[in-house]
Amino acid sequence: MAEALAPASPGGGSHESGEQSPKSNVREQDRFLPIANISRIMKKALPANGKIAKDAKETVQECVSEFISFITSEASDKCQREKRKTINGDDLLWAMATLGFEDYIDPLKIYLSRYREMEGDAKGSAKGGDASAKKDVQPGPNGQLVHQGSFSQGVNYGNSQAHLMLPMQGTD
Amino acid sequence: MRQAGTYSGILSGGISGKTGPHLLPLARIKKIMKKSGEDVKMISGESPIVFSKACELFIKELTQRSWMVTMQGKRRTLNKEDVASAVMATDLFDFLVNLVSESGNSGEAPPPLELDTFTSS
Repeated sequence: MAEALAPASPGGGSHESGEQSPKSNVREQDRFLPIANISRIMKKALPANGKIAKDAKETVQECVSEFISFITSEASDKCQREKRKTINGDDLLWAMATLGFEDYIDPLKIYLSRYREMEGDAKGSAKGGDASAKKDVQPGPNGQLVHQGSFSQGVNYGNSQAHLMLPMQGTD
Repeated sequence: MRQAGTYSGILSGGISGKTGPHLLPLARIKKIMKKSGEDVKMISGESPIVFSKACELFIKELTQRSWMVTMQGKRRTLNKEDVASAVMATDLFDFLVNLVSESGNSGEAPPPLELDTFTSS
C-alpha cells in the first residue's frame, strides 16, 4: 500500500529519469540484459577458483544481445515468408536449428514443456481451490504483500507442499 | 514452523521479482527482440521464455569456450581477449566476430589462436 505513495513530483519523475545518464548513447537498460544476471550464469559455467574480469562480462553481455537479435531476425524472416505476424517459440527453435544451435533445441523443448506444465498447474489449482479473489497467475511482484498478510490465499498457492502436509498432522 | 525461505525469492524470482522463475528478465528480452528489426512487431508470450533459457545456454557455452582459452594461457581470470579468441575459434559464433573485434581494437590485438592462420595475402 505504501508503494502507491509517489514522491511529490507529479508527472515529472519519469521525465527526469531519461536525463540521468547523458553520456550513454542509447539507454543501456534497453539494449542489454542486466550484467548481474549474466555474471551469475557465467560463474556457474566456471570452476570454483575461476575469476571473471569486468570487461569479459561486458563483452558477453553484448554478445547475448547480438545472439537474441541474430535469432530473432532469422525467425522474423521466416514469419514474413509465411505471412504471419507473430513470432512464436517454434519459430525461434527453428531459427536456432537453422543457424547452428541445434544442440539447444532439446533442452529448450524440455524447458518449455515444464513451463507449460507449471502454467497449467497454476491455473488448475487456482480454479479448483478457494482462491476466488486472486486469479493472477504471476505471484512475483506481490511477494511482499503475501508475506505480511495473515489470511492470504497466496501463501497456499505459493507453497503447495505445506498444503499437502496439513492433513497429515491430525492423524497420529 | 516458520519458513522464511519459502517467500524469500525462489518462487518469486529474487528480490526484484522481475524474472519470475527464469534467470533473465523477460521484459528486457522482449525489448531486445523488438530492436532486432523493423518488421519485428508481434512476439508470442512464449518467445521471451524460450530466449531466457536459450541465452543461459549461450552464455554458458561462450563462457566455457572462453575459459579454455584462459587455461591455455595458464591464467585464472577470464578476460575480454579470451572471449574474443573463443569467438574467433568457433564457427557457431561467427556472427559475433565483428562485435568482438570492434570492441577489442584498443591497440593490442587479441592473442591469435592456432586456428587463426587465415591472414589475407
